[in-house]
Amino acid sequence: MKRAFILLLLVVVGWVLADTFSQINFGESRMGDIKQQETVGAYYLNNTVEKLSVANVVTAIVVNYRGFDTLGEVTVLFLAASGLASILYRRKKRGEHDVMILKNSSQLLQTGAKLIFPAILVLGAYVFIHGHLTPGGGFQGGAIIASGFLLMFMAYKDYHVSHNVLTWVESVAGILFVSVGIWGLISGATFLENVLGTGTLNDLISGGVIPLIYIAVGFKVAAELTGVLETLLNFKTEK
Amino acid sequence: MVISPVHYIALPLLAAFLMPLLAKVNRELVRIIPGVVLTYLLFVSVVLMQRVTETGQPIIETLAGWQAPWGINLVFSQFTGFLVSLMVFMATLIWIFSYRFKKVDNEPALKYYILFMMLVTGSVGVVLTGDIFNMFVFMEITAIASYSLTSFYRDRDGAEAGFKYLLIGSLASTFMLLAILLLYTQVGTLNMAMIAERMHTVPVGMKVTILILFLTGLGIEAEMFPLNGWAPDAYSQAPSPVGATFAALVVKAGVYSLIRVIFTLFDIQGAYQYLIIMGIITLIIAEFAAMKQTNLKRMLAYSSIGQMGFVLIAFGIGTKEAVFGALFLMFNHAIIKSLLFMSGSFFVYNSTSKDIKGLSGIGKKFPYMGFLFSIGAFAIVGLPPFSGFWSKLYILIAAADESMLALVAIILLVSIVEIVYYFRVVAKLYFGKPTDKEVVHKPTFGGYFSMTVLAVVILLVGFYPDIITGFIHRAADTLLDKGAYISNVLSVGH
Repeated sequence: MKRAFILLLLVVVGWVLADTFSQINFGESRMGDIKQQETVGAYYLNNTVEKLSVANVVTAIVVNYRGFDTLGEVTVLFLAASGLASILYRRKKRGEHDVMILKNSSQLLQTGAKLIFPAILVLGAYVFIHGHLTPGGGFQGGAIIASGFLLMFMAYKDYHVSHNVLTWVESVAGILFVSVGIWGLISGATFLENVLGTGTLNDLISGGVIPLIYIAVGFKVAAELTGVLETLLNFKTEK
Repeated sequence: MVISPVHYIALPLLAAFLMPLLAKVNRELVRIIPGVVLTYLLFVSVVLMQRVTETGQPIIETLAGWQAPWGINLVFSQFTGFLVSLMVFMATLIWIFSYRFKKVDNEPALKYYILFMMLVTGSVGVVLTGDIFNMFVFMEITAIASYSLTSFYRDRDGAEAGFKYLLIGSLASTFMLLAILLLYTQVGTLNMAMIAERMHTVPVGMKVTILILFLTGLGIEAEMFPLNGWAPDAYSQAPSPVGATFAALVVKAGVYSLIRVIFTLFDIQGAYQYLIIMGIITLIIAEFAAMKQTNLKRMLAYSSIGQMGFVLIAFGIGTKEAVFGALFLMFNHAIIKSLLFMSGSFFVYNSTSKDIKGLSGIGKKFPYMGFLFSIGAFAIVGLPPFSGFWSKLYILIAAADESMLALVAIILLVSIVEIVYYFRVVAKLYFGKPTDKEVVHKPTFGGYFSMTVLAVVILLVGFYPDIITGFIHRAADTLLDKGAYISNVLSVGH
C-alpha cells in the first residue's frame, strides 16, 4: 500500500515535470533573435568579443560577468575538501599501522603511468592557461591534473603528495583569486572588475584579469582534488 | 577603499584561504582570526545601516563592473541590512562562545573555524545577493559547511545526522537548480529584480511548477513541514555553537529566500494562503513533537521548527503589521534560541545523559546558568516582560485585524503546549532532586559573556521594544515595496 502510494506520487511528480519541460524547445536554434538582446545570453554573445577581447564567451561569463559565482563555486570545493578532511581526520592509535596495499600494480601500468603523467600535467596546464581562448578552463584543467595524480596513486602504492605543498598551493591560489577581486575595489572600481587592459583578441596575454583568475582556479582545483584523493586513499592525516 | 556590502563576502573568504597558512605560524591565530573578521563586519554593519537609514535608499553594489541584468549585484536595503546585521551580531557572539569551547578544542580547530566562518558567509550571502543563481551558490556554501559541521564529532549519531542532512540537502539543491533553469528559459535573466519585472509574461502553469520547485527546495532549508526531517538530528548532533548558528543564521537565510521568492519574484495569490497552511501544520506538529521529546537538544530543535512555522504564518498573513511581527519574531528567535542552546548545552555537558531527566536539580548547582535558561524559556513562550512577548502580540493583533480568528485560537492553543514543555524543563532545573555529581565543566569566560549579552538584549528589548521596532518597521516596509526594489536595482547605472 505504502509502496503503491509512493509510486503514484512519483508518477504524478514525473508527469508534471515532463509536461513542463516539454514546453521548452530545447535544441531549437535561438540565433535568430540574437540581436534582440532580450536575454542576458544574447547580450553576452554580442558584446564579449568587443568589450573583453575574449574568444571563449563561456569563460568570459564564468570568470568575468559572473565571476562572483565562480568565487563561490571555488569556495564550495574548498569547503568540501575541508569538510572531508575534518570528518576523515583520525588520530593514530599507539602501535597502529597504516593500512597497506600489499600488491604492486602491474609493470605495464607503472611504466605507462610514468610515461603519461608529465603529459597529463602539461595538458592540464594548457587547458587552464588557454581558458580564455579555447574550450576549457580552470576547473577542467585542474580536474585533468588531479586525474594525473590519481593515475600515479593507482600505479605506485607508496606514491605520496606532500600535504604541506597542497595546502600552500591551495591557499595561495585562493588568496590570489580574492586579491584580484580586492584589487578592483582598491583601484576605485568594483569587486572583481577587469582592471587590466584587455589586449588584442586571440593573444595569449589578453582579456585582462581573466587568465590570471583561471590560472589561480586551475591550481586550486588541482590541489584540492588531489588533496581529496590523498585523504581518501590514506585514511590518516596531518597532526 | 570605501566600506561596501561586498566586504561581507570578500574578507571572510580571504581569511578562510589564509587560515591554513597562518595555522602553520601559530595555532592560536586560527581561533582569533574569525573573531577579528566578524568584529570588523559588525563595524561594517553599523556604518552601512547608518548610511541606509540616513538616505532611505538601498545600497546596490555592482560586481565585476557589470550592471544589473548582465552581472551580479548585492542589495543592502533596510530589510536585507537588518537581517545581515542580526546575523553578523549573532555570529560574533557565537564565536565568543565557542572560543576555547572544550569539546571543539579537542578536535581539529582549524577546520572547525573555517567551516564556521563559511557557514556565516554563506548565510549572509544568501540575504545580500540580488541574483537568483548567486543565491543558489551561497545556499550551497551554507549547506556544505552545515553537513560537515553536523558530523564534526565523528561519532555514530553525528554521522547519521550528517548523512541524512546531506541527502535531503542535495535534493533541495537539485530542486532549486531545476527551478532556476526553468525560470531562465522563461524570462532570460537571473537578476531577481528583472525576473520580478518580467514575471507577468510567464504562463500560469509554468509559474506554478517553478514556484513549487522553489518551495520544495527552499522549504528544506527553512524547516517547513514535511521537509524538516533533518533538523532535529542535525541540531542535536552538531556541536552546540553550531546548533545555535543553525537557529540564528542558517534557518533565517532559508526563510529569507522563501520570502524573497514569494514576495518579490512571484505574484501568485494562493502562495500566501499556502504559507499560512504550511505554517500551521509545521507549528502544530513541531510543538506536539517537542512536548514528547526526552532529549533537551531535540526538544529545542523541534521548538525551533515550530517557531519557523509561526514565522511562515505571519508572513502568509501578508499585511504590513504581520510582516513586522514576522521579522520581529525572526529577531527574537535568533537571540532567544541561541541563548537556550548555549545554556542548555552546558547542562547537557554536565549531566550524565542528554535527557531532560538528567537535568534534575542542576539549576541549583549552576544558579546563574539556570537563571539564563529560564529567561530564554520565559521569553520564547512569550511572557510579558521579555522580548518574545511583543512579537507574539503583534502577530496576534495582525491576525485579528484580518479577522482570522481561528488562526488566533490555534496560535494561543499551541502556545499552551509550548508553555507546558518549557516549564517542565525549568521546573526540573529548580525543583528536581539534585544528583550528587560534582561540578565538572564550568563555562568559559566567553561563554558567560555571550550568554549575558543575549539575556540583557532579551530584557532590554522586552522593556523598551522601541529601540528595535524602528528598524523592523522600515525593514517590513522595504520588503513589501516590490516596485521600489525593482526600480532601485534596475536604475543603477542607467
